[in-house]
This record gives sequence, structure tokens and C-alpha cells, in this order.
Amino acid sequence: MNDRRDARAWLVLPAILIVGVLFVYPVAWLLARSVSEPVVGLQNFKQLIETPVYLKVLWNTIVISGSVTLLCVLLGYPLAYSMAHAGDRLRRLFIFVVLVPFWSSILVRTFAWMVLLQQKGLINKTLVDYLGLIDKPLTLIYNRTGVLIGMSHILLPFMVLPLYSVLTRIEPDLAKAAASLGAPPHRNFLRIYLPLSLPGLVAGSVLVFVIGLGYYITPALLGGPGDAMIAQLIEMQIADFGNWGLAGALAVILLLGTTATFLLVSRSLIGVR
Amino acid sequence: MVDATSKGEPPGRREQERHGHAYGRGHGQGLGLGLGQSHEQGQVWCRRQFLTTACGAIAGGLVLRGATRTAQAQGKFAGEKVVFASWGGAYQEASKKGYCDSFAAKTGATVIQDGPVDYAKLRTMIQNGSPTWDVVDVTIDFLYNAAKDGLFEKIDTSIVDTKGLPAKFVHEYGIANIVWSYNIAFNTQTFPDGKHPKTWSEFFDVDKFPGRRALRDRVNPMLEIALLADGVRFESLYPLDVDRALKKLDALKKNAVWWTTNSQSQQLMIDGECTLGILNNGRIYDAVQKGAKIGIEWAQNLQSVDYLVVPKGSKAKNAAMGLIGEMVLAESQARVSNIMPLAPTNPEAFKLITKEVAPWLSTEPANLTQGFPINEEFWRDNYKTLAERWTAWKLS
Repeated sequence: MNDRRDARAWLVLPAILIVGVLFVYPVAWLLARSVSEPVVGLQNFKQLIETPVYLKVLWNTIVISGSVTLLCVLLGYPLAYSMAHAGDRLRRLFIFVVLVPFWSSILVRTFAWMVLLQQKGLINKTLVDYLGLIDKPLTLIYNRTGVLIGMSHILLPFMVLPLYSVLTRIEPDLAKAAASLGAPPHRNFLRIYLPLSLPGLVAGSVLVFVIGLGYYITPALLGGPGDAMIAQLIEMQIADFGNWGLAGALAVILLLGTTATFLLVSRSLIGVR
Repeated sequence: MVDATSKGEPPGRREQERHGHAYGRGHGQGLGLGLGQSHEQGQVWCRRQFLTTACGAIAGGLVLRGATRTAQAQGKFAGEKVVFASWGGAYQEASKKGYCDSFAAKTGATVIQDGPVDYAKLRTMIQNGSPTWDVVDVTIDFLYNAAKDGLFEKIDTSIVDTKGLPAKFVHEYGIANIVWSYNIAFNTQTFPDGKHPKTWSEFFDVDKFPGRRALRDRVNPMLEIALLADGVRFESLYPLDVDRALKKLDALKKNAVWWTTNSQSQQLMIDGECTLGILNNGRIYDAVQKGAKIGIEWAQNLQSVDYLVVPKGSKAKNAAMGLIGEMVLAESQARVSNIMPLAPTNPEAFKLITKEVAPWLSTEPANLTQGFPINEEFWRDNYKTLAERWTAWKLS
């Protein structure tokens, strides 16, 4: 039995090799440059801390990712709830609706939003020309609104799917028991259902937040000048200035932020359980 | 990668070419090659025989083809391979037809198209000592920065004939091949009958000329444009008064949509997202050809230049210089301009450029006199600091 398990362990080797060669090595190489270019030392990190632009962009990244996470919770929770409690056919439809955009390219979906949100796009045309609800078109793109709409849409499945899998496992009898003991619906939800769904909520939020931290295409295409995120700054340092050292330092910060979020939350998850 | 000789040469071409020459000297049929060796091989003889026969057939084919291409075989760079890296799309297609094909036909060299140019990649491959590109089309700012870092081979003027070129287009490490400019683009439905802004000052006047502006998301040329709009004369533009320029831009911020790629700039104008914009002349031409209701204003156009460089350590340095030489010939440049409105650096080319295209070119005499060259020496020394300042301004 033991031997067989060992033999099977070898199957992991190709995957480890691929990750090692294609991910760990280049990332380590970039990170190493953050403390070795142009000279050995911490000058790149010093520059990051001393230049207000970089701090502003870091702050932007956190705020945008956080807002998107919040939006995904607000949109995703009711959706996941309906999915978990719908009949079989409706549930399949819901899953399909969530998954189809999940499978299509981020770039395509971002461009689709550009078409919808423009001054003369479908949404503004409908509001101004067809319905006459407003006089002047809304500015929905090339600003924070555009970034939040685009990112929330793209990241929503990462919230809905973990949440849904947790919600389906919640014992319906518990809510019934609470109701029979006289708990009104809102208290029933807050004291019974919500705490039980928390692992899914936390897992979804971490996924959305962490993926959002590294977002590049969507803020670049839908955002305005004030919505630059850290990935855009890394790209600019490499492509515009050939400054691998500073790009590496920014990457270190991104990686640290991601790891910290994971550690913090995985610890709190254990606490919840 | 697209093979410039368009015949689709088989891989390992140079090997076979060499064999081909050997047969040529040895009276044609080269079936003897390898037969002697294969006798010693005993068991694998059959396979060997098959291979040598096949090899002989290929070689025979080469001899035949060699005969039809005698001119090429005797060419200056026969058998050499030059990799030309450019920006892809219609531009590279025009460069291939205008420069590379005639060079290949004249010299017997093979030109391989690659790209798009990526400065980070280019720097890295040169620093690693083995550039895979031999001739690269770069913007002037990169030429100035990278020449300072010693990344290019010196231009060999014994191969590249620079006599026909104005001195401003000849750099120690690069030769200018095209000139382009930033122009005012306007929606002809919003501003018909010549009622569009004709100076940068008017372009900044949002009361008189309403609508959003498609602006280049880059410190260069936005600072120059802002200062010209604020009434600074071109002669006293440099060194740039950055505070004054950013203050002028503050007023336009609410009406600005920033573009980073040329196709984005076209899209903003075509979709009517913006009524005015700062666009490249070639892009306005392209949009108009596709039916967009856009016009171009040449007053106060800001001109810049693309250069051809040879990365340090190129393995086909001489042939690369030869290709650059071909690219500055009047007839090559005219061919490119007639395909795409990229202005030639060789003034002689205008004799061969059609009347339809000429008015769209930045070096066309009337357009040239209304234009200003961007001072790249200033940007070489200040770009990094000002680009950071630019990002900070945008975020504020």
C-alpha cells in the first residue's frame, strides 16, 4: 500500500518541474533584481516609499480591489443563495449563466463593456434617446465607475462558486429549528445562516480580492488616469523605462500583499471553524 | 515570422545552399555526396541510400533554382539572413514591400520579418549578447536613450549612403527612415466647413469648441502642446516650463479621455466618444480611408522620427547595414509612402510619391513649414523624471 502511494507521488513531478521552470525561476529572478539593480541594496524600496506616486497607486490598488470585493459580495450572495435554493432546472440555468462569461476571454468581456458604457453606447443611448430619462449621457467609462463595473463582472464567478458550494451544504433543518423556536427571519439569517455560510463568503472574498490586486487589462482599458493599479505601474517600469529593479520591488510588494491576505484569512478561517 | 523572399525557404537553408554551390562547381549532379560514407554503414545502408537520394534530389532542385537566380547568388549578401523587427500590422507589411523585397532581390540576402518591437525585450537580448534582431525600427526617444547606453552598432557609412539625407536624419547609431506627426483631429460633423480649432490654443478652448478630447497619455508631447496652447512660442519652448504646462492641462482634465495605443485613439474618434483629438497623421488618414468623418489640421503639428538601428552583437552586421542603405533610397521610401502615408526622410522621394498621398505626409513642404520637431535631446535627459511627474499629475 505504502509503495503504491510512493509510486503515484512521481506523477506530481512533471507539474512541479513546469511550475519550477516556468513560474518559480522567473519570479525569483525578477524578485532578485529588486535588490540587485542597479546596485545591490534596498534603494528601489526606498524610492517606492519616498515617491508619493507609488504609494498612491498602491493605495488605489487596495481600494479598487476592496470595492470590487464588496460589490461581488453584494451581488454574489443573493445570486448564490438563489442558486442553492432553486429547483433543479433553474439551478442548472443559473450555473450556466454564471459559467459562460467565466469561460470567455477577459479581453473580450472588457471590450464588450466599452461598447456598452460609452457616451454613445447602448446604455447611454437607451437612457437618453430611447427612454429620455436623462438629458446628458452618463460618464460610465474611463473613470472609477467603469473599472468597478468591469472588474466586478469579471470576478463575480470567483465569489459565487465557492459561496454556492458552501450554501448547498447548509442543513435546512437548522433554519427550521430556529424558526420553530421563535426566531424572526432576519435574526434567523444573521444568527444561523450567515455564520454557516461564512467559510464560503471568506473564500470567495479572498479569491476576488487577491485576483483583483494583480489586475491589469480591465483598469487599463476602462479606467481613467486616476485609476492606475500596481500591475500597470510594473508594466510601465519595464516597458517604458527598462527599470527591472523598481519593477521587481513593486512585484515584491504585490506578492507580499497577496501572501499576507492569504495568511490572515486562512488563520481567521480556522478561527471560524 | 514571414519570409521576405516569399518562396518559403526550407529550414536549414544555409546548409543546403552551401551544398548547392559545391555541386555547381562539381558539374551538376551531386548524387555522390554521402554515398561513400553509406557504404561503410552496412546495415543502415538502405536508409542511407534513401536519404542521399532525397538529398540529391533537393540539391538538384537547388542547382536548377540557382540557375534562375544567378543574379542573386552573385549578390553582395548572398546567403545571408537579416532579421528585421518592426511594429507589425500594415506598417510592417508596407516596410516589407517597400524596403525588404527589393533588398532581397538585389543582394541575394533573405530578410525575415519579426516583431512587434518591444524595448524591454530588445534591451535584454542585447545585454545577453545574442540579439536575434539585426535591423530594428525604433522611435527617436529610444534611439537617444539606448545609444547613450551603448546598445547599438555604429552606422557604417561606407555601406549606408547618407549623402542624400538631411543632416538632422543621420545619427551616429541610427538612420531616420520615416517622419510622423501629432496633429489636431476633429469630427467633421461637429465642426463642418472649416469651423474646427486651428491652433492648440483653440483646441484647449472648451467653451468655443465643446466636446471631449482624445489626448495622448504620455508626458511627451502633452507638455509641448500645453505650452503652445498657453501662447509660448516654439523657439522658446525648451527647456519646458513643466509647472505652467501642467496648470494649462488642469483646465482640460475634465474633458480628457486618454489614449495609450494608436488604435484606441482612432476608435475614440470613430465612435464619436470624442469630438477632438491629438492623433498621428497616419492614423487620421487610415480612419478617413475607412470612411470615418474626421478631418486633419496641420497647423502647429509636432513632428517625430523613427530610426533604424543595428543591435550591438548582430551576427549579420554588414547585411543589416546594407538593408538600412536600401531603406533610405528615394525609390524605396516612395514605395512605402505610396502604400501608407509615412513621410520620407529622403527629399528626393517626393518626386515618386502620388498627389493623393503627398498632402498627408509630415515632410511635405507645406506641412513641414507648419510643424515643429520635438526636441529629443531634452527628453533623453528628462523623460524619466517627467514621466513620474506625469503619472503623479494624472493621479492627483
